[in-house]
Order: sequence, then structure tokens, then C-alpha cells
Amino acid sequence: MTTSSDRQPLPKGTEIRGKWNGKLYRLDRLLGRGSNGQVYLASSSTKAKFAVKLGIESAELQGEANILASLDHTEKGRSPFLLDVDDTVLEGKNVPFYVMKYIPGIPVKAYLRERGSHWIGVIGYRLLERLSQLHEAGWVFGDIKSDNVLVGEYGRVELVDYGGASSIGRSVRQFTEIYDRGYWSAGSRIADPAYDHFAVALLWLHALEGKRLIQLTKTLIPQNRHPRELMKIVRSNSRLLPLENWMEKALTGRFENTQDASKQWREAIRVSQKPKSPDDRVPAWMAGLLGAAIVISLSITAIWLLQ
Amino acid sequence: MKQILLITDGGSNVGESPVIAAAQAYAEGITVNVAGVIDEGTIGEYGATEIAEIARAGGGISQIVTSRQLSRTVQMMTRQTVAGSIRQAVSQELRQLFGVDNVGALPPPKRAEVVKVMEEMEETMSLSVALLIDASASMKPKLHAVEEAIRDLTLSLQARVGKSQVSVFHFPGDTQHSYCVMDAGWTSDASKVSSLFGRIRMRGTTPTGPALLQIVDFIRDTCGKISKTELMDTPLHVKRGESNEVRSDYVV
Repeated sequence: MTTSSDRQPLPKGTEIRGKWNGKLYRLDRLLGRGSNGQVYLASSSTKAKFAVKLGIESAELQGEANILASLDHTEKGRSPFLLDVDDTVLEGKNVPFYVMKYIPGIPVKAYLRERGSHWIGVIGYRLLERLSQLHEAGWVFGDIKSDNVLVGEYGRVELVDYGGASSIGRSVRQFTEIYDRGYWSAGSRIADPAYDHFAVALLWLHALEGKRLIQLTKTLIPQNRHPRELMKIVRSNSRLLPLENWMEKALTGRFENTQDASKQWREAIRVSQKPKSPDDRVPAWMAGLLGAAIVISLSITAIWLLQ
Repeated sequence: MKQILLITDGGSNVGESPVIAAAQAYAEGITVNVAGVIDEGTIGEYGATEIAEIARAGGGISQIVTSRQLSRTVQMMTRQTVAGSIRQAVSQELRQLFGVDNVGALPPPKRAEVVKVMEEMEETMSLSVALLIDASASMKPKLHAVEEAIRDLTLSLQARVGKSQVSVFHFPGDTQHSYCVMDAGWTSDASKVSSLFGRIRMRGTTPTGPALLQIVDFIRDTCGKISKTELMDTPLHVKRGESNEVRSDYVV
């Protein structure tokens, strides 16, 4: 069996022309590869930028393009995801491909590492708001993971790889093991909004406590995989601790809907940003004065004792 | 659709050839997939060839993986087999309707509609998977991974819209008269397939062929005669109208 990851990426400048629609694209660089194809950054003759997915099996690739088309259909009022579907010939072989809007940004895990984990509040809120729109349109994203959640300037979030989305009530088309609710014995693989909530919680665990999470998957026997093990990690991380309630609800599927999840996320973040309690706060000059008083009295006592 | 999934780590050594047994299963409308599991060492040229041959004779696919990759592989093979058989059935229709051999030869707007129907069939067709586990001595350290893969597969099948069920067998059997033993009859409940192999006595022989044939009998007895037309439960609704837009108007 050959997978796309075995293949060398196509050289920069490779041109592909669609057999049916005749459009020409120039491949710039590899953006990512999945089990069923490779995604390239490409430009057209007008210098516009696109993301082009080259597939292997045309029915499978068309299945993804169909989802993008249905999403464009159900979520009117934004610029379309799917721009072209066609075939081309590369090295004598027929290669199906589709063209999407190019979305710049870096994976959320890398973003939090580079810019600091205090960005989690904004990013999480934007992610949940996006998911909320998607869920209202009748879709579940399914394969939420760092590589599919891209963050642009100032924490602006875009999801990529909508080809793995599933309609609510169907089985989840595409998922990643450690983000999967079924893997953690926390529910089924039927697509519902709570499936995405669960994966979002895992996204934060993976981004902030990646090593311990991976370690856990290696040491736990399958029967012991359970949200309570994940909650242990949550409680021991200072950034996640204020989100403890939110994380627990996400891991056990207890949000009413995604609007609710988003609202509670916002509240949890606001609480953690607020000063503990106004009464506890001591002005700096007062603390300084107290410190000085202690030092002076201690030294006076010492001098007195020595005498 | 009926599938047998054989999980083994080496060549058979007792009874009929498993390749012939798999060919018989396929003749009766059952697809045979094989997952070869190896952790250390190699499976040997003989074992590897046999695994590939069984799958080819059984109209299915085979892959040799480590026990860590087993869950993923089992899922992928089951799914691909379903998709593959639907593709086959659909290409027959396509030849009649459009005179083309496969979906890829259709212009994209038509392809979009055909694929939509195919995916609907994939999700809704009934599916029975009988798992046949090699429990010879060398498989002992891998049985945990096997159990996990079965649980994982059942979980995914449970999520399908169509009726899905699994049954689990291991071989060799306890007596000389039974080549394999049933651990779980048809079920769609993931909790029913946990801790299956607690009390298995590991033995040396590997009667893969006879065990396969016994499963074919079991499927015949429990699922009735397997009709080849079952695939076409959902009729193809392909609009013949010409439309040249990329995105055709439909709601999934």
C-alpha cells in the first residue's frame, strides 16, 4: 500500500492545468499532507493565492469537495471555501484535485508556544464561536487538532481541512486518535456538537501539557482511559486550573450547546484575568512600609539582645 | 455486506489451505481481509506471502503492522472494503448509464452527485464483520492490542447509521473437532466485546484454513443466503441533466 506521505513533494513551480475547467495553477510549496492527498500553496496567473489539494482516489477526494460545497451552501454570507474541482495529469497519471481559499496562519500549538499561553483566552473564544456557527449549520468538524486550527494575527482563528467534517447524526468521518472521545471511553463516534467540545479540551491539553498527555496514552491500559485521568493533568497546570470547570464539562459532554460552551469559556477566562479580590490587595507603599518596619524592629531587637 | 477479518502473525500449518478457504468465502459473497501483526522480528517470507494471498483470494486487502498500529489498520481496512465494494457496484451502473468505467472518468459535477449517493450507501448499508483471531502461542503478547482493536472497531461501527454487527472467534479450538471457538456472537455493543480472551489456552497449531471455513458456515447459518444484489438496496439517483457548474445545488 502506498500513502501520499511516501511520495516526494512536487517541485516548486510545477504547473497543473485542469482537464475539465482548463484553469492553470502554479504550485509554490507543500502546506501539508494527509492520508489521502497533499495540499499545496498555489497561485494562478492573476497572482491570487490558493490551497490546492491533490488526491489519489477520485471518489474519496470528490467526497471532501462535496462537503466543502455543502458547507458553502449552508453557510451563506461568507466567501466560499471551494473554488474549483478538476483533474490533471502528472507524470502520465490522472490526478484529481480541488482548489480552496488559502488560509494563512500557524498551528495553534506553535502559536501558543511562540506568543505565550496567555493568548489561549482569545483563541479559545474565537474557536468556539466558529464551531458554534458550524454546529448551527448542522455540521460537526470532527478532526480538531493543532494542525487544523490555524491562528493568524492577534489570535484570529481559522479551521482548515473541512473535508473531514460530518453532518450531525452521522458517524464521524475523520478523527485523530488522542483527540477522539471514543478513545478516552467518553462517548460514541456519532457526530454531535459535544464531540467537538471534547476535542477542543484535548487541544488545550495537547498544546500546554503535550508531553504528559502523550505519556499518558503510552502508560494507561485501554480500560483506564477516562476523562478523570485527563482532569488530573488539568488540575496540575496553572494555566488550565482556572478552566477546570469548563474542561470537565467539555470532557464529559455537559454543555447545552456550543453557544453555552462559548459563554462559559468567556466567563472562566474573565474570572482568571480579574484580580483575586479587592480586599486582599495591599498597596505597594504599605507593604514596603511594613517590610521596613519589620527590618528596623528586628535590627533593634538584635542590637538590644547583643548588648 | 459480510466481511471476515483475520488477525494473525504467521503461516498456517494444519488442514486445508487458507487461500482456498478465502476463495470459497469470496465465492459465497464474503470478503476476507487480513491484518498481520508483528512486533519483533519478521513475519518470514512464507507468512507474508500467505497473508497477501489470503486477502487476494478473499477479495479483500492485507497489511502487516505492529500491534500499536493495529486499531487504526483494522478500522481503515473495514472502511476501505465497504467503500471498495460500493465502488464496484456503482461502476457497473456507470457503465450502463454513462458508458464510463469509474467515477473518476465522469466530469466533476456528475461525479459530485454519484459520490454523494455512494457515501450515503457506505453509511447506511448493513455490515457484519466476523473477526477471526489467531491465538497460537506467539500471539499471546499481542492479544491486548487485538482486544483494543476489536473494541475500537465496534465503537466506530456503532456510530454508523446502517445496521452493524461484529462477532469474534479465535483459533485453534479446544478439541480436535472444532477448529475455532466463538468468543462473542453477533453484537453491536462495544461493552460486550471487552475481556474476551481471558481464559484462552494458547496452543501451537495454526489451522487458519479450517477455521476460516468454519466462519463461512457460521455466517451462512446466521445471516442466511448472501445475496449479491444486496449492495443495490439504495438505488442510484443520478440526474441526467447537464450542469457545468462546479458546485451543484444540493443539500446533504
